[in-house]
Amino acid sequence: MNASAISVPHGHDHGHHDGHGHHGHVTLQYQPGLPLSKGKLIMWLFLSTEIMFFAALLGSYVVLRFGAAVWPKPHHVHLSEPIGAFNTFVLICSSVTIVLALEAARVNKVGLAKAWMLLTLLLGTLFLGIKAYEYQAKFSHGIYPWKPRGLIYERPDLYYGSAVRARLGEPAMIDRLKELDDAAADTLSAEQVAARTRLQQVRKMVASPDQQAFDLAVVADQIMPLPAEGAAHGEGHAAGHGGGLNDVFPWLRLPIVIPGGNMWASTYFLMTGFHAIHVIVGLIVFAILLSYRLDAKRAGMIENAGLYWHFVDLVWIFLFPLLYLF
Amino acid sequence: MSHPAHDPHGPVTRPGETADQALEYSAAHDHVAENAHGDEHGHGGVGKYLLVFLALCGLTTMSFLTYSPAWPWRDQPQVGWAFMMAVSCTKALLVVLFFMHVLWEANWKYVLTIPAAMMAIFLAIMLIPDIGMRNRMVSQERALHMARASDVKLLEKAAEAAADAAH
Repeated sequence: MNASAISVPHGHDHGHHDGHGHHGHVTLQYQPGLPLSKGKLIMWLFLSTEIMFFAALLGSYVVLRFGAAVWPKPHHVHLSEPIGAFNTFVLICSSVTIVLALEAARVNKVGLAKAWMLLTLLLGTLFLGIKAYEYQAKFSHGIYPWKPRGLIYERPDLYYGSAVRARLGEPAMIDRLKELDDAAADTLSAEQVAARTRLQQVRKMVASPDQQAFDLAVVADQIMPLPAEGAAHGEGHAAGHGGGLNDVFPWLRLPIVIPGGNMWASTYFLMTGFHAIHVIVGLIVFAILLSYRLDAKRAGMIENAGLYWHFVDLVWIFLFPLLYLF
Repeated sequence: MSHPAHDPHGPVTRPGETADQALEYSAAHDHVAENAHGDEHGHGGVGKYLLVFLALCGLTTMSFLTYSPAWPWRDQPQVGWAFMMAVSCTKALLVVLFFMHVLWEANWKYVLTIPAAMMAIFLAIMLIPDIGMRNRMVSQERALHMARASDVKLLEKAAEAAADAAH
């Protein structure tokens, strides 16, 4: 910034000299180039780098998505729109509470400011909790941000069939399957008995020498059906399914087919993950602020924390429709 | 001396200016000195914030409409996308203008936000040739392994067949 430093001679003795101090003592005083405090200026500079950071992530997502031959529908990857909308609501509420905390601190209502700040912290935590629940729903369906994401296959083709065959042929798996085949029907639930029959069919189909493309689609559908619209969460399975085999027997961990699923998982976890990290940082800042007396002297600090938090909210405002509704 | 020595942004004498003139100038122009509770009154207010909050809730509900069965343009997703982006931009604008107080800030706001926003847009546009159009021309090997719309159809057919078999 073009802060102009002008030396001002002072009449009294400070006992230190600067380089030009030939005649007495010189103190440097700075005139800020922009009419805002240093903290706020730095926060805004940081936010403008953050704008570019998230714009890069969101922009690449949009470009990747529209350049893809196939992109999974939100319900194919177990995204629940109502949960996403609720999370949006939670973040908007927290944006309001932090603004109210600032207003209260400005007029020295210390207790009120603290209450709003605490509420902001709780709402942020609720957001993270819901996000964790959503992540869990992905993990339980075999969609991971890390290595086991190799479970996702793009198409129900020969490579997929051989991957299923390879998994079923692992020594530990052979033992588990034998155990399952030998289990008495009354030790299993009705769902498990039905799924056992389906699993036996699947094993036969992947081993068959004259399998058709459609057979492998059936195999993929049995292992993890792409849920129908509106049945995204929890028990949502296509009609007629007793649930995917991977859901009934979680130890199976058979490869699954989600067309476009790998790129989707990369972008989803990257964007929501970076957003979640920002939320966590915000929560730490709020926790630190809560340990102060939130009066008018701290308003600058609260304002800067609030600016950051509104930015986090802003990112989610774009992430929600892009991920859940597109 | 009338200098408030404790003030980090205290008045500065410029060439040909007395200390008192500097102080007057400072009082008129320096919005920083008491940023805790000085300059930023006369805007905001709890009522305004609540109004913005209600607007944001209303807008979120509106974008959620595209998900409901009542949305009339289900077969033309582009309509929904454009609608949702318009809603999102409106929400972002409300948050930035009111919650981040940008509406009441001095002109420095343009210095920081406009270049950042422009670079953000350029960045996305620059990705289009290499990333957005990556599937215009693909090698045979990649074509063999990449998902196609026909794969989704095949999977949907398999699901239908499974449903038929169950009933």
